[in-house]
Amino acid sequence: MLRMASSFPEEVLEHVFSFIYDDKDRNAISMVCKSWYEIERWCRRRIFVGNCYAVSPPMVIRRFPEVRSVELKGKPHFADFNLVPEGWGGYVYPWIAAMATAYPWLEEIRLKRMVVTDEALELIAKSFKNFKVLVLSSCEGFSTDGLAAIAANCRNLKELDLRESEVDDLSGHWLSHFPDSYTSLVSLNISCLGSEVSFSALERLVGRCPNLRTLRLNRAVPLDRLANILCRAPQLVELGTGTYSAELQPDVFSSLAGAFSGCKELRSLSGFWDAVPGYLPAIYPICPSLTSLNLSYATIQSTDLTKLVSQCQSLQRLWVLDYIEDIGLEALAAFCKDLRELRVFPSEPFAQEPNVSLTEQGLVSVSEGCPKLHSVLYFCRQMTNDALATIARNRPNMTRFRLCIIEPRAPDYITLQPLDDGFGAIVEHCKDLQRLSMAGLLTDRVFEHIGNHAKKLEMLSVAFAGDSDLGLHHVLSGCENLRKLEIRDCPFGDKALLVNAAKLETMRSLWMSSCSVSFGACKLLGQKIPRLNVEVMDERGPPGSRPESCPVEKLYIYRTVAGPRFDMPGFVWTMDEDSALRLS
Amino acid sequence: MGRGGSTSSSSSLESSNYPALTSRSSSLYQQNRDLSTDLRLGLSISTSQQGNPSIPSESDWPPIKPILKKALAAEENECDSATFFVKVYMEGIPIGRKLDLLAHDGYHDLIRTLNHMFNTSILWAEMDGDEHSEQNHVLTYEDKEGDWLIVGDVPWEMFLSSVRRLKITRADI
Repeated sequence: MLRMASSFPEEVLEHVFSFIYDDKDRNAISMVCKSWYEIERWCRRRIFVGNCYAVSPPMVIRRFPEVRSVELKGKPHFADFNLVPEGWGGYVYPWIAAMATAYPWLEEIRLKRMVVTDEALELIAKSFKNFKVLVLSSCEGFSTDGLAAIAANCRNLKELDLRESEVDDLSGHWLSHFPDSYTSLVSLNISCLGSEVSFSALERLVGRCPNLRTLRLNRAVPLDRLANILCRAPQLVELGTGTYSAELQPDVFSSLAGAFSGCKELRSLSGFWDAVPGYLPAIYPICPSLTSLNLSYATIQSTDLTKLVSQCQSLQRLWVLDYIEDIGLEALAAFCKDLRELRVFPSEPFAQEPNVSLTEQGLVSVSEGCPKLHSVLYFCRQMTNDALATIARNRPNMTRFRLCIIEPRAPDYITLQPLDDGFGAIVEHCKDLQRLSMAGLLTDRVFEHIGNHAKKLEMLSVAFAGDSDLGLHHVLSGCENLRKLEIRDCPFGDKALLVNAAKLETMRSLWMSSCSVSFGACKLLGQKIPRLNVEVMDERGPPGSRPESCPVEKLYIYRTVAGPRFDMPGFVWTMDEDSALRLS
Repeated sequence: MGRGGSTSSSSSLESSNYPALTSRSSSLYQQNRDLSTDLRLGLSISTSQQGNPSIPSESDWPPIKPILKKALAAEENECDSATFFVKVYMEGIPIGRKLDLLAHDGYHDLIRTLNHMFNTSILWAEMDGDEHSEQNHVLTYEDKEGDWLIVGDVPWEMFLSSVRRLKITRADI
């Protein structure tokens, strides 16, 4: 076998490897033998680092010297919901600084939940001559000044996507920094920005970039300017409107409808802030060819929503507020047979009483009518075991199932039982389930079901559930493919963690907040398992100032080959051999 | 609220109680499975503390992203903070007043405010017959076409979309 492997000249192997893009496949190739490892590392062009603290920039650069595309993720997922305090970490600057010298030909940077500064953006702008793609997903720490540097310097930029980032919006002037000679824009997403960009600069930019296929505008772009922009980019495939509200005027309506009709390639729509029903018919002509519709900001009611979705027979993805109600979801089930993904968000998340008639029935209808439905995120106020079991039987092809019942620990509202059996049915029938978020009243039994059946599960989110450590033990010992586990407000303590300590090295990360894990157990884990970073977050002060049995506020454990990090704020402590001795 | 003190059997956190921690982790993963029986026995003795179920704060529950929270809040605020000020003149008084029509629910609310503002009682379209004699003034409005009409004939929303300004004239016509 070894002889065969070394009998191919390097160039041939390299050529063969160039057809292999998937990270897992690339990793497998590199493990065949030493020479394949060497050849592979020199020709790997794209790297993905799921946790920026799992490895250090010098380590990455040492192994892969010719990278063109980097993807990094920083903060834990629960940072999206304000559970990670400000200043926790996830700084990208050290990576950019290292790559600026090591990868002068870097083309693509994709970041998620990282802290990006204007300095980092300026460094990107001046270090990478062939820079093409910048995607900043849920990032923060930078201002429109940094964007101006990118716009002014990146001559070959194709993609600038700021999805859901928090930007210090000093002014909209940054957009005018794209020089008149710049024409290579393919994708621009500024939907998260608050301030107004110069509309004439925007129109000129759109007009001179013939390859533009994705344009997501921000709320500040008024409806009466949309037609002009669309007329300059009839080749658009994905559009995010600005504010979709204006006084009803026939001439504005007809030019808008005309502009939409002219966009024959349009497949994805989003935006629709403050949408008024009167202007919805302007998009009816393109509805039949839409594959993706994001109405998360559209406060239109169920009659208009129903009328709209009934015309979207090619729809594959729908994100919508619960204004759609059960009746709208029934229409979705009847007309949109190609639906793959559904997300329903709460219009009044803090109201005690339901403001709309959206129940478990809506989701059951969609599960019945849409055979390709495999990804669900559903916020509602009531659920039953029966409904969950029906959904499970209808859709054994489900791969991502996230349910959130607004009231924590809500039982089956008819039988008043926990929802253990309902979620049990989900994991039993949906054998390819990769991601699960549970809701409602749940005991240790649901975790037993998960441990027994959810063999392909990679990510699990748990809140206000379980009775004892047995619950956590079932998950850690049963879910063979578990990579990410995030837990909040559950009565899980030390035992399950310590017994399953070895499991933690096979996972990307574990988050536990408002649980019952003691400081002593954290120290033990940190001391004994060297390739885990056990980080304790406690805003009450040093954990050593309290008894060892005292539970920590927040715990984040992740595997790493880079050792403990040194950029932690004052409220984060790493438990390792040295620090454990210092703290006790 | 620590649990450490209340557990019975293996309460001491010594690594010897947890084989996974005393030697190479990977080979011990298999052994952990056999511990599950011991664990179940040990754990079934100690019951969990369900005394204080935590109630989440609005800052982190339900789990929706800040960008959506902000958009929903902004939409609510817009409804609250929209205004529509129009000029109001009373016949014989050269200095007029300004009034926010959107701060009122309808005609009754508007008349009440005007009565108070101008210290009079005002006649409008929907008043009962026997009240007519009491009124000193009539409320009229100028619409988008420049015509002057008595207030109250059309639905409130339609009135809002066509009114340009208000005038209170003497009732002795």
